[in-house]
Amino acid sequence: MGLESMLPDGVLTSRIEALVNWGRKNSLWPMPFGTACCAIELMGTLSSRYDLARFGAEVIRFSPRQADLMIVSGRIALKMMPVLLKIWEQMPEPKWCISMGACASCGGIFDNYAMIQGIDRFIPVDVYIPGCPPRPESVIDAVMEIQKKVERESIKQRA
Amino acid sequence: MDPIEAVKAKYADQVLGTGTHAGQPWIDVKRDRIVDILKTLRDDVGLDMLTDLTAVDHLNQGLPERFAVVYQFYSVKDNVRARVKAWVPEADPTIDSASALYRSAPWAEREVWDLYGIKFNGHPDLKRLMLPENYEGHPLRKDYPLTGRGERMNFPRYVP
Repeated sequence: MGLESMLPDGVLTSRIEALVNWGRKNSLWPMPFGTACCAIELMGTLSSRYDLARFGAEVIRFSPRQADLMIVSGRIALKMMPVLLKIWEQMPEPKWCISMGACASCGGIFDNYAMIQGIDRFIPVDVYIPGCPPRPESVIDAVMEIQKKVERESIKQRA
Repeated sequence: MDPIEAVKAKYADQVLGTGTHAGQPWIDVKRDRIVDILKTLRDDVGLDMLTDLTAVDHLNQGLPERFAVVYQFYSVKDNVRARVKAWVPEADPTIDSASALYRSAPWAEREVWDLYGIKFNGHPDLKRLMLPENYEGHPLRKDYPLTGRGERMNFPRYVP
């Protein structure tokens, strides 16, 4: 403070990091990786009743190249895992990942040969959502957790 | 025409057992002349639709053979259903393909090959239907471990 008094009107000082993170956290572009019933709850979260637009995350992108938040909603099978890895690799940095529901987080009730027992074995997960499937309130909570995480991060951490 | 009578009349040496369940006749047969038997059922009896083709693994159940390939038929004209079961030994899990007789057979046979490892001789394109092409083993066999043989951990870890 104090610096503003020496600057002309309408000029504010801030840290570049705070400014960039403020921008990032309020305009997350999610990429929905919906494979099961969790994806239906995700659609409910995005539509008018719960309205994810209030958190700046309503621009759903079905191209990973335009997204910075992947929401893995549903069970990931043996045949889907290479696809998930490829899509995660296609997303540009900075990127975050929400593992939505029991199946994506730990395999859920499906402990068999064909099911990945948690996507965090292969890709980094920032926020887990419990539930089977989780309610839209939980998804909103997870997006808010991501926002907090984005706020705390140093931009040097993410290329 | 009764399917049991029709098969018995022509291929009596192939029939292992017959019966009726829930008003639907079933026939247990050897696998050797399965295509001839299916052709008889289609052309003479009029079972013109193969609604399902699947397999059962009777591991350690004291039955004639370990595997049974099950054919479910429906006659659109007569509104009757019938079932044929062909026993396939564990040592040589092969049977002749029904692909030339029924258009619904090829994919069903691919699924059986994928999950049970029963080979269908004369199939036009016998490759896996459900599982990834590089998968090894046939997981619906009863002696396959439920949690697999480590396939689900067999992926690279993402390194940023």
